This record gives sequence, structure tokens and C-alpha cells, in this order.
Amino acid sequence: MKPISRRLFIEETGLGILSTTVLPSVTGSPVEAQVNSPAVSAPRTKITIKVNDVSHHLEVEDRWTLAETLRDHLELTGTKIGCDRGECGACTVLLNEKPIYSCSYLSVWADGQSIQTVEGLAHGDHLDPLQQAFIEHDGPQCGYCTSGQLMSARALLNHNPSPTAKEVRRALSGNICRCSNYNRYVESILAAAKRGQKHA
Amino acid sequence: MPDAFHAVGKATPRIDAVERVTGRARYAGDLRFPNMLYARVLRSPHPHARIRRIDMSKALALPGVKAVLTRENCQVVWSGGDTRNKRYLFNNPVRFVGDPVAAVATTDRHLAEEALKRIVVDYEVLDFILDPEEALKPGAVEIQPGGNLSPNSKGQREAESYRRGDVEKGFADSDHVFEDLYVSKHVNNAQMEPRVSIAHWEGDKLTVWASTQGISNCQADMAKDLNLLPEQVRVICEYMGGGFGNKNQNHDFDLMAAVLSKETGRPVKLEFTRKEDYIGVHGRWPTRQYYKVGVNNDGTLQAIQLRGYSGMGPYRKSSGDIAGTELYHCPNVEKTVHPVYTNMSVGANFRGPAYPQGIFGIESMMDHIAYQLKMDPVEFRLKNCTQKYHDEVPYTSIGLQDCIRRGAEIFEWKKHLHPPGADPGLIKGGVGMAMGAFGAGIGKSSATLRLDASGHLWVYVGVTDIGTGAKTTMALLAAEATGINLEKVHVVWGDTDRCPYSVGESGSRTTNMTGYAVVEAARDLQRQLKEKGAPQGNDVLIAQSTPNPRLEGAARYSFAAHFVEVQVNAEFGNVRILKYVAVHDSGRVVNPLTAASQVKGGATMGIGMALHEELLYDRATGVPINPGYYGARVMTHMDAPEIEVHFVETEDAYGPYGAKSVGEPPITPSVAAIANAVFNATGRRIKELPITREKILGVTA
Repeated sequence: MKPISRRLFIEETGLGILSTTVLPSVTGSPVEAQVNSPAVSAPRTKITIKVNDVSHHLEVEDRWTLAETLRDHLELTGTKIGCDRGECGACTVLLNEKPIYSCSYLSVWADGQSIQTVEGLAHGDHLDPLQQAFIEHDGPQCGYCTSGQLMSARALLNHNPSPTAKEVRRALSGNICRCSNYNRYVESILAAAKRGQKHA
Repeated sequence: MPDAFHAVGKATPRIDAVERVTGRARYAGDLRFPNMLYARVLRSPHPHARIRRIDMSKALALPGVKAVLTRENCQVVWSGGDTRNKRYLFNNPVRFVGDPVAAVATTDRHLAEEALKRIVVDYEVLDFILDPEEALKPGAVEIQPGGNLSPNSKGQREAESYRRGDVEKGFADSDHVFEDLYVSKHVNNAQMEPRVSIAHWEGDKLTVWASTQGISNCQADMAKDLNLLPEQVRVICEYMGGGFGNKNQNHDFDLMAAVLSKETGRPVKLEFTRKEDYIGVHGRWPTRQYYKVGVNNDGTLQAIQLRGYSGMGPYRKSSGDIAGTELYHCPNVEKTVHPVYTNMSVGANFRGPAYPQGIFGIESMMDHIAYQLKMDPVEFRLKNCTQKYHDEVPYTSIGLQDCIRRGAEIFEWKKHLHPPGADPGLIKGGVGMAMGAFGAGIGKSSATLRLDASGHLWVYVGVTDIGTGAKTTMALLAAEATGINLEKVHVVWGDTDRCPYSVGESGSRTTNMTGYAVVEAARDLQRQLKEKGAPQGNDVLIAQSTPNPRLEGAARYSFAAHFVEVQVNAEFGNVRILKYVAVHDSGRVVNPLTAASQVKGGATMGIGMALHEELLYDRATGVPINPGYYGARVMTHMDAPEIEVHFVETEDAYGPYGAKSVGEPPITPSVAAIANAVFNATGRRIKELPITREKILGVTA
């Protein structure tokens, strides 16, 4: 069930997108919208970032974290914020293929760089082997840490296609799962690696 | 598992798994609305203080600040926040570090932070108490009017007590009497999703997008606290990032968001920081447990006495019970538990509320006695474990002994057991085990089914699926009961305008209650199908059920036994877990895939409680010093061992196809099992949680 469809939701909310951002295919057309101007003035900087292979020209407040920009201004809410202080890993995204905590990375630092989020893992209906394995091996319980686990795992498999369980645990040591479904995550990642379908 | 089942008992991936792995699952914090305001809460920096004056002028002077709430202009009472006293959204005096003082709504998240800094509060700092026993001493500062012992369920200022037989006679008849104190600490639920609430009024109808474990309870509570009719409140929770008991009802921040939204005429999203989540919601109540146990040379129990103190923080949200003595068959039992007000963060429900800490106490105590009597701890449990609830009421089914026997066999207990501290090296091996139990209550919940002409079945249930797999369980039960293929079963959930009452995902009751309602509704559907035939064209068949089954003279529980092998490093104090076997009696297992995940997660969480986790307080100032994942040391990938899961499926006449509870039982024995293994390794018993490196070095160095 979808009480509110994503399309309807986006249409209703009006995007807090700045300048001339071209959105990924979710809305089908470029959107320009008004910005809430914060009364306490914050310095702003124009940046260009590539997110999931789509370029965005944005004017961001210097204090915005990358997680904030992705979630609030590009509507990529698959990236979660669990602690907003670099402890839990729910906000993990890939920056030039390396996993980072996007809650602890300012948007201005990302200027000119390439970012991959959980929304960029699947190609249409074709899921990343990691996503498929997470489904089959019951990786997510509440699901809130899942995007971060997936991104750390993707970074691992990109440079080490057949890791050991120990290597998986080490690579994901910065991704907390309070449901504590660690066994399932490790099992899923090993299964995906075994399938040997190395994914972009 | 009888082959007659086509859906129940088959390991089935979650029906919403694709949403959960693609980022499409939408949590309350992911939503934004036009003109939405951002709200934040100002919290007390003092553990106990009277507010003389609040100056909001500097905050209100900021353009973009649309509303500020304090006790002055908001007297809403949060009834679920305290079952004994009137707990306002903003209290004066404030009674713990984190008690809300004000809430602001602004046009921008960063502006809200700035506004909080500009609220000036003049506090008169009062004496404070962190320890529940000290809080009961004469002359202790009164935290709530009437004294620091929280009233019992009858409203009397007396400890909660239970008695059977005569413990004094029991001690006199015993060959040995053992006495000890076990202490557990405040640990936080620490679910991954920080608490958040979005409120929006359309006319006199309030919609709340809540991160809640129970939309029906949340709706009823919001209506009650805001003087609305239930139908004026709609609660929506599509996905929820865990709760583990900290969101079974409405919360103060849902009410604050609603009031701010009413005041401003705009949607309001109230967000928590992680630190606020740690101190401003609640955690597991800390306990001090004094045990006295009388036993004969042959291991026969004569008497169990428990005098306990539970630190509830300054507001009484939950029972404060210390569970576990009922796991033992014994003629004379006396249990007295004092739920006490303190100036710590609120102590309330967290997965298996009264059990992990209570079972840590009683199972450490009994383990110790077994070794003192030169008995195998497993034999001691098998000899003394409960057969009837409180030795009186029969269980609807009990697989406790089966769990112990099966676990001991799989674990090869006899082969691994050695006398405590017998391993002479610096790396000391040891094994431990413990029993666990948790209620499998039945009761009232509803389900509605709609069958259309194409054979698709729509299941309307008020579940939110906090991570347990409840939606999938409901779908499997509906598929089983109707014979319809799982692919044609659609679950409609998480919205009080669409779904009938559900008990809420607390107390491990969703499968037992709402699942049973699904099965009963399916029976109604089958009857209709026989009478009217399958629907044609645009016709549909609607079936519903609100069963309210009762147990007549019986108790219904799930049971477990956990076995663990550890290595304790006597030089560095760390504990490595080499093997962990969890055996559970949860009746019929509806979905073996998600049920095993629950056991793995619960056991792992218990290991964290046993070895690392604690919200530490500075005794001088009453300030919590380590709120957050890093400081309070929750389990990570590097800490988590492989948990081997087995089920003994007892036959039970109640619940859907005899299913019992799964979510909470796994954490109940794990803390004690680890503690007992550390004892077996080191030969020294650590009686205060968590069993940290420092404490281990304290006994091994």
C-alpha cells in the first residue's frame, strides 16, 4: 500500500531546490522552486555535484551537510540520518566510490565530485546483487540503517569482490544496526559476493 | 511442521523488502510538506531545578520564529508520560537533564537551533538523587509530591509485592542460604531512527505522521490529551526505524508538534537529535536486586526472596518490575519491588521490559548456587525450572525443558563445562547458560479482509511493522487461512483512517492478537464464500473480525535457553564470544526467516547490555556524560558473534495456529548467559552490569 505516492508527495511538497537543479527521473521534468530564506543569514556557495550520474547545480548554505542536501533539497531520502555526528553510519554514501558519512561532510566540500546513494544502486527494476541478497537473507529489520549498510558493502565489493566474513565485518564496522541483525547482513554480503556479479 | 500448511512455516522474505533495500521505504522524518515549520525542544541542563523565569523575547525577535511554547502558554498534560502524576509537556520544576522546557517552531531547521540558544531560562537549582535506594532515605529531596516511592497499582505508597508460602520457614528448612546483590544499569533503546513527529491540522482534524509502534494507541492518546474525538485524529506510520518499546503510545513531542501546528496554522515537523533521543525519551530502568535463596544439599529450592529497587526516573511510565523469579519452582517466594523516582532519565519499556535485568540477577544467583553445590548448572535448571506459572497456574504450553535439553545437546555442554576458573592461561575459556521467558498474551485486536473478483485479497491491519516482519506475518496468516497465494495478498497498514484497531507492536503481541484476528476474519470470509460464492465483476466480499480470546485459568508464555562459550582475556579484560546457541519455544513459527532474525538480533542486543552499554551519570552534577552510540557503546559488526538459532515448536491451542511470541524473548536470557560464561571462565562473579574490561581486570589482575 502506498497511502501517498512518491509522485503525489513530491508534487504536493514543492521542492526546496535552489537555482536550476535538474532532478533525476522521478519527476520527469526540471523543477524550479522557491527557497525558504532563513532569517539568520548563512553564507551560500554555488556547487556542482553529480549524484547517481545526474548533475546538479546548486546554491547551498555552507552549513548544510551533504546528508541534508541529499535529503531535503534533492529528495533523496533513502540516505538516513541516525545520529548526525558520525557515529552510526546510516548516512553512508559513496563519494568518488569511497564510503563517507554524509552527515559529517559539508555539501560545499562535495563540489565537483561524484556521489552515489542507495537510490543509485538499482538500474530500473534491476536490483544490485547486494539488494537482492539483502532481500533473500533478511538483511533489513526496521530498515533504517540498511542504506548505509548497502553503501559500505558496495564500496567493499567494488575493490574486493570476494571478501571473507572478517573483511565484511571490518568494512561495515562503522555501520550500526540496533536491531542487531549483523549476522544477516554479513550473510547477505557474502552471498552477493559469491554470486560474483560485480556491479558497476 | 505438518505439511498441511502452504504458507505458515515457510521461510519467506519480507513483502516490503524491496522498499527497505532501495531507499523507497518512507519514514516520518523523510516527509516534507509545503510551508512546513521545523520544531525543536529546549531541555533542562539540570537534573532538578525550579524555573523562575523564561525570557523568550530574543528568540521571538528572530524573523522566522513562528511560535514558542513553554509552561506559561501550554498546559497540555501528556497522560501516557506518567501513570501516577500529572506530567505536563513542560514541567516546573524540571526533574532530569533533558526534561523539556520550551519548544520552538521556525521556518528553517538551523534557525530552530539558533532560537533555542536565545531562550534565557532562570533556574533555581535543587538537590538531586540518582540512586533509587538513596532516594528512599529520610531527608532525601522529594522528586514528586508525596515522596519518592512511586505508588503501586492500587495507588498506595507501598512496594509492589508477591508472596507464596513462608520464606522464613523455607530458609530455616534449608541446608544453605545464599545472599547477594545484583545491579543493572540504565541502557537506552537507541533505535536507529531519531524520534520525529509531523503534525498538520485541516480544520479540526489533526493528522500526525508519527514514528510509532502503535498507530491505534497513538491516535487514542492524542485524542485524549488534546480533548478531541478519536475520529478527529489520524495517525500515519508507513515505516518505523525501530523502537524496542520506547514508542508504544503517543509521546510528548507528538503533542508539542500538534500544539505548535495548531498555533501557527502550518504543518510542523519536530525533530530530535541523537543526544536528545538518548536522554529525552527513555531507557531500561536500572535495578538493585537483593536476593536471598535457601536450598538443600540435593539442589532442591526451599525459598527465594527478592527485595528490589528500580530507578524510574522522575516520571512513572512503566511497571518497574524485576522479573525472573517465576522461572523457578519453589514453595516459598517473596518478592518486593520498589519503583522509585530519581533524577535520571526516565526508566521505562525496552525490549522484554522487566526481564533481561531480572533474569541477569536470578540466573546469576542460581548459577552460583549450582556451582557451590557442585551441581552442573544445566542439571540444576532442569531440576528446578518452572512447570506452572508461579507454581500454580498451568501454562498453555511449555517447552522450557526441551529448550534446555536441546540447547545442551547442540552446544555439547557436557564436553565444554569445566569448574569455574579452571583454565589457567591468560586467555580463559568458559561456558555459561541461562533460561528465559516472556509472555505470549492474547486479547483484542481487529482485522478486515476484502476479496475482489480477480482473487486478490486485501488485508487491513493497524500494524506498523517496526522491523519484526509483522506485515509479512499478517500476509502469511491470511494466505494460509484463505488458501490464497501470497502474491495475491496485499497488506494495508499504518494508517488509522484505513485500518481497524491493532494492539500495537509492543509486548510481542502482534502475531498473537492481530494475527489471530486475521485468521478469524478469514474464517468469516470462508463462510461468506460458501454462502455467496466468489465475487464477480465489481463485487467484493468484506470480512472482519475483532476476536477477544481469553485464557481460562492458564498462563501463556514463550521460553528459551541460551548457551554461550567465551574467551576472557585476563590481561586486557575483553570477552570474545566463540559460540552462541539460542533455542526457543515460540509455539508455531509463522515465518522461520524473520523469526530467526528476531532471535539473532535480541540475543546480540543482550550481549551489548551484558558487556558494554550504560548511560553514565556524573555523580557531582547529575548530568549524563555519554549519550550516543559511541559513548554508550552499542554493539557493532565487530562485536557481534554468530548466533545459532533453533526452535522447539510446542503445540499451543491459542494464537494463530498456535504461534506464540518471538520479538522479546530472545533478549531475556542472553545477558545472564554471558555473565555466567564469564564466571565459568574467570571463577569470579561480576555482579554489576555491564561486565566491562575494567571490572574483568578487577577480578583477574
